[in-house]
Amino acid sequence: MNGLQLYLQSLLNIKHIYNVLTANVGYRYIKRWVSPTQKEITRRKRRLPAQPESKRSNFIEWNRNSEIYAFNTRLSEKFDTEKLNQAFTHKSYILDELKKQQEMGIEEPKFDISHNEEYIEKGREITSEIVKKYLKKSLPRLPEVGITALHDYLMSEQMLATASSHIGTKDIILTSEHPVSQQTLAQTFVALVGALAESVNVDHASAFVRDFLIVGLANKDLTEIWCPTKPFELLNDVISAERKISIEARLIGQAGKNTILSVYHVGIYANKEYLGSGFGETIAEAKDVAAINILAQIYGLHHTSQPLRFNEELNVSA
Amino acid sequence: MSNKHLFQKFGFLRAPFGIGVGRYVCQLQRITIKFCKSHGCSLGIRSFLEHDLIDYAKQNPGVVVYVKPRRHRSPVLKAEYLNGETSWICIANFSRQDIIQWMELLKTQYHDGPALRLLKLWHTDFPSIQGPWTPFTFKNPSLNQIKFPDKKIGEALKFKPTATEELIRLFEEQQEAEKFDQEIPVQKGVS
Repeated sequence: MNGLQLYLQSLLNIKHIYNVLTANVGYRYIKRWVSPTQKEITRRKRRLPAQPESKRSNFIEWNRNSEIYAFNTRLSEKFDTEKLNQAFTHKSYILDELKKQQEMGIEEPKFDISHNEEYIEKGREITSEIVKKYLKKSLPRLPEVGITALHDYLMSEQMLATASSHIGTKDIILTSEHPVSQQTLAQTFVALVGALAESVNVDHASAFVRDFLIVGLANKDLTEIWCPTKPFELLNDVISAERKISIEARLIGQAGKNTILSVYHVGIYANKEYLGSGFGETIAEAKDVAAINILAQIYGLHHTSQPLRFNEELNVSA
Repeated sequence: MSNKHLFQKFGFLRAPFGIGVGRYVCQLQRITIKFCKSHGCSLGIRSFLEHDLIDYAKQNPGVVVYVKPRRHRSPVLKAEYLNGETSWICIANFSRQDIIQWMELLKTQYHDGPALRLLKLWHTDFPSIQGPWTPFTFKNPSLNQIKFPDKKIGEALKFKPTATEELIRLFEEQQEAEKFDQEIPVQKGVS
């Protein structure tokens, strides 16, 4: 019986092998339809107009609650979840939702969530105050004009939007527009500051502003952001107010006079003491550059000055 | 450098806004693990999900982890960073240990590093410490005292003695030699 079984099995095997062999003759498993199909798909894609950027929150893998939780812990912040949600909700989103409900045929559209207008206003005030106080603390000798210039630079829409997008607000914001505009990003940042001030306190919000907005000054040339318009007169005022002596500009060197490559080296002295020097194509320009150099060193804006500190605690409420 | 690098994204190595100055913020904001529940090439990622995912999520509460099963497609890790960059890794046939290490890498970077062709290995916002070059840079301070035109500084550079100087030198040598010759007989007479 066993012998018969073996015989039958080997017979089956041979049959199987024979089938495989005959089926494979002249066949290389090359799918000849793939290339033309892909080419056609690519051609059609190229003919299409530019497609809108896909919205991350419309993906299947999206969980808003986890995103909000992760936002809070990522920044090691103590936002109140409800207030954080409100700070991310713009008015345009609510209006949009109400409009959608109306279109669906609901007679009395209702959408009970609060928007962040209040936080934006409050947050802008707080942020502005914190920035001013922090700059005054870290650059104590800088005059009011300079502080205002740096403050305006930090509070500009572009700077706020950069700070906002780098803490990951871009995908979480609830607004009617897509992609999110710079203005909305900037507003969200100040709304977050407002929400944090309410969740914890203003002092805590000041650390937030310092760590995520004021740090933007870290790799900037501060004299490019603010430069005095009449530096020589300003320097004269500063020196005469401090030491009761007037300054004097003297030509240290000149080269290529009356040519397009002329260079003047002007030094500024107070009571025969050397304060600093600068170069320029004309004497007036060199004098201004010298005065700017000295002023920048006095105010702590020069690139050789000690860099701004970003670890100072601020007591805003006091 | 091969030809394909010409079309690769290029730039300098720059830190994202404010990173490393303020407080520490993990730059990875969300990671999506796509895998197949039955296919063999997802074996490693399945065992990762079984044994390590909960720990990973607990250790990194700031990272949103999405797990997305899909039938008969190769497993993939997709990371999204705070600066808007994404990094994509195909992890077909990767072992559990490999995946742990790749997840760690995705967590500690802020963009897909190898996808960026570096124009230079360094970059600085302040390229010059001593300021721009001027004609007075590295000049000898003694030049400050000189009143121009100065005969000594203004004269042409000489690398060889002139013919006149050579003649004068020869003449002087001759004179010296004659003096020497005259002195020797006198000394002889004395002795």
